[in-house]
Amino acid sequence: MNVLGIGAVFAGGVGIKSFEEALVEGWQKPVDVEAKWAAGGKYPVYQANLDDVPYKTILKKIRRADRLSKMAVLGAADAIKDCGIGNINATNVGVIVATAFGAHVTTFGFLDNIIDFGETAVSPTIFSNSVHNAAASYVSSSLEIKGPTLTITQFRFSFQSALQLALVWLQQKRCDYVLAGAVDQIGDVLCYVANRKLTTAKDGRIRPFVFKPTYQVPGEGAIFYILGREKTEKTYCTVQSVMINDNTSQGAGTDITIIDADGMLPDESAYLACADSGALLAAYSPLFGTTMTGSAFNVAAGALMLSKQRYYPNPVHDNPQGLRILINSGPAHIASIECIGYDCQSKRAAVRLIAV
Amino acid sequence: MVETSVRITGMGAISAAGNTIPETLATFEREQRNAGPVTRFPTKLNYPVFEVKNLPSRYYLEGQRTLSLALIAVDQALAEAGLGDVSGLRIGVCMGTTVASQLNDLQFYTSYRECKEAPMIAVDRFLKGNLAEVISRKLKVRGPALTVVNACSSGTDAIGVALSWLKSGLCDIALAGGADELNHVPYCGFGSLGIVNPGLCAPFDRDRKGLNLGEGAGVVVLEKMTSARKRGRSSKLVLLGYGSSSDAYHLTAPSPDGVGLKASLRTALDEAGIKPEEVGFVNAHGTGTNDNDLVEGNTLAGMFGKDLKMLSTKGYTGHTLGAAGGLEAVFTALGLREGWIPASAGFSNQDAAIALAPVREKTKVGGYYAISTSLAFGGNNAALVIGRGVRE
Repeated sequence: MNVLGIGAVFAGGVGIKSFEEALVEGWQKPVDVEAKWAAGGKYPVYQANLDDVPYKTILKKIRRADRLSKMAVLGAADAIKDCGIGNINATNVGVIVATAFGAHVTTFGFLDNIIDFGETAVSPTIFSNSVHNAAASYVSSSLEIKGPTLTITQFRFSFQSALQLALVWLQQKRCDYVLAGAVDQIGDVLCYVANRKLTTAKDGRIRPFVFKPTYQVPGEGAIFYILGREKTEKTYCTVQSVMINDNTSQGAGTDITIIDADGMLPDESAYLACADSGALLAAYSPLFGTTMTGSAFNVAAGALMLSKQRYYPNPVHDNPQGLRILINSGPAHIASIECIGYDCQSKRAAVRLIAV
Repeated sequence: MVETSVRITGMGAISAAGNTIPETLATFEREQRNAGPVTRFPTKLNYPVFEVKNLPSRYYLEGQRTLSLALIAVDQALAEAGLGDVSGLRIGVCMGTTVASQLNDLQFYTSYRECKEAPMIAVDRFLKGNLAEVISRKLKVRGPALTVVNACSSGTDAIGVALSWLKSGLCDIALAGGADELNHVPYCGFGSLGIVNPGLCAPFDRDRKGLNLGEGAGVVVLEKMTSARKRGRSSKLVLLGYGSSSDAYHLTAPSPDGVGLKASLRTALDEAGIKPEEVGFVNAHGTGTNDNDLVEGNTLAGMFGKDLKMLSTKGYTGHTLGAAGGLEAVFTALGLREGWIPASAGFSNQDAAIALAPVREKTKVGGYYAISTSLAFGGNNAALVIGRGVRE
């Protein structure tokens, strides 16, 4: 399975070029949003930057959509544009949208309706947008994609599961291409929950190689991929394998291992095992924040490194264990990259990417 | 030649039609409709619902009714499949739902709104309640775990995903289906859409006035033939094909020309390697809403002819949302196994705009193949082809 196009929506803007620029530029401070429950009334978040969005016509089509759906559609549209395949929606394109929390902000908006106006005066538009697969529906309708369209929700390995299924769909020729991606949104309540259950980085700096104690900064965004059986001129890389809860692959022979450490777990020491392979270690969560679908961004960083054959240094270098982490930038010879995620039970997911 | 690679070796179902499969079949035979007022939560709305009664106490989980329902159906299906301790086996778990995917606890949210502080218990339940993750963890199985949230086609899509997994070798056995509880939030939401019937639903009827919400779970054990043989099990029921397609039309309304449903049916039939005329009956989505039944009825008539035996079981279960595809796959398989389908409850008068009418009474069905369809909010369409593999 080949990565033919990537679209991104994150704190650094819209477009895979914005993401690449962020990888080059390094760490940026998150924004502070108002939060009445937070000390000082402010809370750091990596909020997606939807200013100066280029897809005005598409946005007009989905003007009733909520922020989550808009991020998904923008990410998907950007992936399609990036792949450069003309009339791709005339082929059988499958859509897989992975999320952890879905349209929770809109769901709370609907609960506001019930509380404020009563059961009989709630908004059907808000309810419609609160349904978990609304984002995928907006993707398919606004981009005129008529293949199988699936939304999956997991708290562990949501994106990797989408990628694994895309691989199966392409192998079985259920689709010509798969538009697979991940989207999650932050909101007031989720920030509150994150602050209650996790330790927030007061300086806004996620330190992925500290492992324990960990510090998080909530993030949001969308990353979508156009995946296909055949390579094109644009091909970023090949997805050689996606392994979930299967420890057979331990990164042997991998040049770089990108870890999903982002402060989501209070103890992320499981990632120390990734150092055993001798590969350079990287983690890019400080660019997009703590999110259960962050692995989608890390895979994009891997795909870009393989495609451009250049190193993107870790945005935050704190490295108390003295691990071999990627600190240099510039040209590189990279044959393979493994993207590793661990869940709270030390179960592991591995996406292995190889150069074209 | 019937494709025999993926067998249905176990089934479980719980809904207002019955807490077990034998109870459900008895309800179907009696044409009994166990609907009534909401008892699960306080409400001023008066739409009748199909609630599950007498949930076995050992399955009771505070604030996690969807999970309780799912576990009941899973245990039934595993028992029928003769699968006891499955720990360590390569079993995939793919479950569809809607309610269990949302943190929509009114008590938690009200508390948050009022004092900007709320107890974390509802959040913990939610975070620990992802259906596929919990079932996979509880059974200690190896294999993929995925929760599908494709609204009303979630259960059908979950079974279709599991079929793909088995064919690709990602697992040897899969537990797949759907589960959903009756919940206050969608109850209000569907009410706001103006598609809930103040009386009992009447799928495909000329005078239909909308759907009734229900709850339940339906789960199948899917198994590669080689795996079933190794365990000394056999089953004549086969999952032959899955098709899924998007209308790319509208968030809440189906495409009037049924383009997505047609594509799903064609894909499922192609994968099964059969022709439309070989299909013995279709268990339709048939919600009882004006748009769904009009589009679905005419699409089915166009593809299978006006003499197709067709029914909707939602007159017995209500619309169980994410569970519907799982339950209806089980009911479709039961129709093939038992050789009959129940009367399409609620149907009295044919709609002149729909070129097909569902069966009005318990009806014998022959043939080797049947189809279960789902049309979902968001424009998703999905179809499963199930076979009775006696031709091998």
